[in-house]
Amino acid sequence: MEWERKIAQWRSEGVIDTETAERIQAFETRQPKKRKLPLLLIIGLIFFALAVFSFIAANWQAIPAIAKVGMVVVLMWIFYILAHFSEKKRFGHPVIFRILGYVMFWASLIVTGQTFHLGTGSSIVPWALFIAAIAHFFIWRHSAFTVLAFISGITILSSAAPGIGLIEWLLFIAVTLVWFFLSKDGLAMIFSWLLLFGSGLLVWSIWDIESPLVPIWTLFALTLLLLLIPQDKQRLLSPLYLLVGGIQLIVFLAIRGESDMAFAELTMLEAIALAIAGAAVLALAYFRERHVMWLGVLGLVGFMLYDETAIVLAIAAELTALAYLIIAQRQDQPLALGFVYFIVVQFVIYVIYAWERLDMSLFFLIGALLLFALSGIAWWLNRKKEGAVT
Amino acid sequence: MKKWLMPALQTAFVALLVVSFYATSWFGEHYVLRAEPFDPFDPFYGEYVMLQYPDLEAPAGISDGAIYFTLTEGEDGYAVIGRIEENPFFGAINGSKYDRRIVAPQLENFYVEQGHGPELEEAVDLEVTIDVAPWGSIRPVSIAPRKE
Repeated sequence: MEWERKIAQWRSEGVIDTETAERIQAFETRQPKKRKLPLLLIIGLIFFALAVFSFIAANWQAIPAIAKVGMVVVLMWIFYILAHFSEKKRFGHPVIFRILGYVMFWASLIVTGQTFHLGTGSSIVPWALFIAAIAHFFIWRHSAFTVLAFISGITILSSAAPGIGLIEWLLFIAVTLVWFFLSKDGLAMIFSWLLLFGSGLLVWSIWDIESPLVPIWTLFALTLLLLLIPQDKQRLLSPLYLLVGGIQLIVFLAIRGESDMAFAELTMLEAIALAIAGAAVLALAYFRERHVMWLGVLGLVGFMLYDETAIVLAIAAELTALAYLIIAQRQDQPLALGFVYFIVVQFVIYVIYAWERLDMSLFFLIGALLLFALSGIAWWLNRKKEGAVT
Repeated sequence: MKKWLMPALQTAFVALLVVSFYATSWFGEHYVLRAEPFDPFDPFYGEYVMLQYPDLEAPAGISDGAIYFTLTEGEDGYAVIGRIEENPFFGAINGSKYDRRIVAPQLENFYVEQGHGPELEEAVDLEVTIDVAPWGSIRPVSIAPRKE
């Protein structure tokens, strides 16, 4: 064997002594030998499986309905049994077999739906997959099931959006809240938070309202969660609040700057209510998680939307971006999020106000890019020079 | 034992779903509906025929939105609307009304063998056989060109 040859070589060269060589030999001999399946057997099994699947596919219409569903359910069980033995005998990855088991559950529902002509508008399949993924997560606590639960949650939201009822909506929020509070896992909290935010947007279709401020109301409602979660989780979620808040401000700036917003219904009463809610969010954030205080700015968006030129929104976006960067730098906090926000704000403002004068603005843009490249080269040369001195 | 909980629950759920469809046929009544197709494709479910029903028309006085109705056999053997209300009642099929046309989620589409959809679309005049359970659920059973 390769290691025996190496040990002999090291011993002859004096790299290791005889005692060490014997100890290595004894250790390696004790190790369990890996049993490998012969290559021909693997190829044979693959071809056999392909033949079985081809036979089933060719006779799919002739197979009785119950047998079609039964076959996929049996496959699902095979993967769960494989997961059990994978854990017990320590081969492969049990979680992959469980994911495949879950995928087979999805396949069995698809086959049932197709065989019995389940309506495409039905949300029963996404609901079953959502609950199953959350249950998998709570039993095995693996992040793969967090992702699966998130995908199926998004499917419920998108499939239910045109005609979701109040009860189904409340049920979705209740299940997602349970997942949020009981998960105790960062990734699961982030994904469940995103689903809660998505469910807030369904208010548009449930009550058929035309207010453009629904996303801000949803974000403000979600700040109440800060009252109910421990401090470490508040820290974890605060960048998410800022990220979604920043995106909202930019989207409002882009929409107001590029359209007359005739499709939306603005009322002064709602703008005043939003400003009051914004002040309440500011106070809540001051006492619970000060990083989230920036959301208070969104409370003024109701008033800002009355400005047809979108200048006020642009100033608000620009000032928040600059102020965030300055404060974050003074407090020695990460700047990446603020920097990306700053760049996007500049880009949106550029598109809104300089697009029609593209020839002129392109001239300045190329000049700015050249300056940027030159300063980059100067910085790199300076760094290299400093490195050479030290 | 908890490692077997999910496959067991998932199997029970699929079984319940299948039984609910069979129960519609066991306890339900048989109707044949006039149908007209249009033919889309679903990436997950495969090929299906979207259907609309010329005989299912709401009488005047029923407003657009959610409606509840039953079917009855017409003089020519094809099903027509029996009772229709804007409020739910036991045994009613849940549907919705828009511009006199009535649709129900379970009646909207019929999955067909791959390549069979365009053939049915060309036929235009179709008939769909369904079972309707006493509690209002529907199970589409077959689809074929209409012989009139």
